Amino acid sequence: MKAVTWFGTLKLSENGDVEECYLLEKDTEQLAQHMLLAVENEELPTHGLDLRELALACGFVELDEDYDVLLREICIKAAKRQISMTDTDDKRIIQAVEAMDDVDKAANELSERLTEWYGVYFPELELTAESMARFVARFGSRENVPEDHNMFSKASSSMGAELSLVDEDLLRNFATNLCGIYDTRKNLEQYIMANMGAVAPNLTNIAGAPLGARLISLAGGLKKLAAFPSSTVQVIGANNALFKHLRSRAPSPKHGVIFNHPFIKGAPWWQRGKIARALAAKISLAVRMDAYGGKLDPSIKVNLERKVESIRKAHPEPPKKQSTKVTQPGPGRAGGRPAKKRGGQKKGGMNKGSKNTDDRSGGRPA
Amino acid sequence: MKVEQLSDGIFEVIIDDRKILSTHNLYPGHSVYGERLMDVDGVEYRQWDPHRSKLGAMVLKGFEIPIEYDSHVLYLGAASGTTVSHVSDILTDGLVYAVEFSPRTMRDLIKLCDQRPNIIPILADANQPRSYAHIVETVDVIFQDVAQPNQAEIAAINSKYFLEEDGHLMLSIKSRSIDTVASPKKVFKDEVKKLEGDFGVEFEVLQRKELDPFHEDHLGVLARMFVEDEA
Ligand SMILES: C[S@@+](CC[C@H](N)C(=O)[O-])C[C@H]1O[C@@H](n2cnc3c(N)ncnc32)[C@H](O)[C@@H]1O
Repeated sequence: MKAVTWFGTLKLSENGDVEECYLLEKDTEQLAQHMLLAVENEELPTHGLDLRELALACGFVELDEDYDVLLREICIKAAKRQISMTDTDDKRIIQAVEAMDDVDKAANELSERLTEWYGVYFPELELTAESMARFVARFGSRENVPEDHNMFSKASSSMGAELSLVDEDLLRNFATNLCGIYDTRKNLEQYIMANMGAVAPNLTNIAGAPLGARLISLAGGLKKLAAFPSSTVQVIGANNALFKHLRSRAPSPKHGVIFNHPFIKGAPWWQRGKIARALAAKISLAVRMDAYGGKLDPSIKVNLERKVESIRKAHPEPPKKQSTKVTQPGPGRAGGRPAKKRGGQKKGGMNKGSKNTDDRSGGRPA
Repeated sequence: MKVEQLSDGIFEVIIDDRKILSTHNLYPGHSVYGERLMDVDGVEYRQWDPHRSKLGAMVLKGFEIPIEYDSHVLYLGAASGTTVSHVSDILTDGLVYAVEFSPRTMRDLIKLCDQRPNIIPILADANQPRSYAHIVETVDVIFQDVAQPNQAEIAAINSKYFLEEDGHLMLSIKSRSIDTVASPKKVFKDEVKKLEGDFGVEFEVLQRKELDPFHEDHLGVLARMFVEDEA
C-alpha cells in the first residue's frame, strides 16, 4: 500500500511495515505546500497511521522533538496560507460594500446633526447633506460668505443667531470631518468600480459594478451567489419586504436589489416582473462563469438586451384582465381604461399593481 | 494560597476557601481570554473558567480526565483556543492537534499557536478525517466539541482513524445542535447509543454526566474505544 504523509510517500507492507520511503526535502516552504496539495491526493492514508514512528523509521527525523518542532512549523505555515487564500477578492469587495453602508449611516446621522445645529445660525440656507457640510466647512459663519457667492444675500439678511468664534470653530471642525466621511464614501465607490471588473467581469458587465457588488455582498461571496438559483437572485435583498409579506400578507416582493437595474427601473410596471426574471437568469449565468474564473463573454449582455426588447414588444400595454376582475365593465368603460383603483394601486407600490400577473407566471420568491 | 492537584496538570488554587480551577501557565504573564493569573510560590497558575470550557466543566463534574502530561491529543472544534490553551498547559511533554474549520476562527487560534510550542493547528473539516490523515499521528485522547448535528458520527470516524487501542474519547454533546425540540435526555440517550456501535467502532462509556450548571443541555461523555479482534 502506498500512503502519502506530510513528510513523504511511503510504501507499506500488508502488516504496516515500511518497505520504501520517498522522503521530501526538509524545506518548510515546500513541506507546507505539499501538505496543502496532498489533500487533493488520492493516496492519502485510508486509515490512521503512526506517522511519528514511520518518520523515525524512515530517518526523516531522528528525535521525537524534531518531529514536533518541524510538524508544528509546517502546520502553522499551511494554515496561514489557507487563511490568506480565503481572503479572496470578492471578500474585499464585500468589506467595501459593507463599509459603504456604515459610512452612509454615519454620514446621515452627522449631517442631520449639522443641519439642526447650523440651522440655528443660518436657517435660510437651503443646502442639505454633503453640500451643507462643504459650505459650513468652507465658510463657518454666514458672515464669511463672499459677495459673489449665490448665498450672499440670504446670508446678509439672515434671521439666524450670532455665531461665536468658539462655536464656529466647533461647527467647522464637525463639518470638515463630515466632508472626510463623504470623501471616504467616494473612495469606496471608486474602489468598487475599479475592482469589480476583475472580480466578476460578466456580472459587472450586465449588472454594473455597484449592483454587482451589492449582490455579492448580500450573498456572502461570489461562489455563494453562484450557487443560488436565479429565483433567489431575483429577490436577494428583498428580505424586509419578504418578511413583511409573510407577516402581514403584504404583496410578495418580486425583486430585491436587482430592482435598481435600469432595465427594470425604466420599465413600466407590468413588464417589470418579466424583465426581473430574465435579468435574474442572466445574472445567475454570468455569476457562474465568473465564479469559475471565466473571461468576459459579451454575448450574455447581448442576449439579455434581446430578451428585454422582446418582452417590451410582447407587452406594450398594461394587462386589462385586472380591471374586469375588480369592477363590472360598465358600458362607459368599454375602452378599457384601468379601473378606478388603478391610480391608488400605483401609488401604493408597484408590487401591488402587478401582483396578479406575476404570481401567475411563477414569479415567486424562492 | 494553597494548591491542590486534581490530575496531571490540573489544579485547584485555594484562595479564602474558594477553589479556583486552574492550570500551570505555559506562557507566563499572558492571559488568553481574560482569565485571571495567580502566582503561588513563584509558579503562575491560570484560572480555567468552566463556564467557557466544556472540558473545564467536565473536570468539576468529576470526570476522570485521561489527559496526561505527555499525551498526544486530537482536539476537534478548537475554536479560538479557550480550552485548547488549558490542554496545552497540561501537556508539558505532549502535543495537541487542534482541528477547526472556520478560517476566521483559525486566525485567532494561530496567534495562540505562535505562543505555544505544543499546539498544532489544522484548518480542516472534522467530517473528513482523511483530509488530515497525512498529518495526525495515532493519539491517546480525542476531545470533541464541535456542536454539530452528527457529533457522535464525527467522534466515531475520527476515533477509527486516529485513536490508539484503548485510547479515550471525551465528547461534549449539545442537544440543541441535534434536535431543538426533542427533550435533551432523549437526544443524549440516542447519541450515546449511536456512539456505542453505529459507526463500526465500539466504545465503552465510562462516565456520562450533564454539564449543568456550567453548560445547559450539554452532556459530557468519557468513553474508551474497544478494538475488535481482527482474528
Ligand atoms: C462550541 S465551539 C468549540 C469551543 C472550544 N472547544 C472551546 O471550548 O474553546 C465549536 C467549534 O467547532 C467548530 N466546528 C464545527 N463543526 C466543525 C467541523 N465539522 N470541523 C471542524 N470544526 C468544526 C466551529 O467552527 C466552532 O469553532
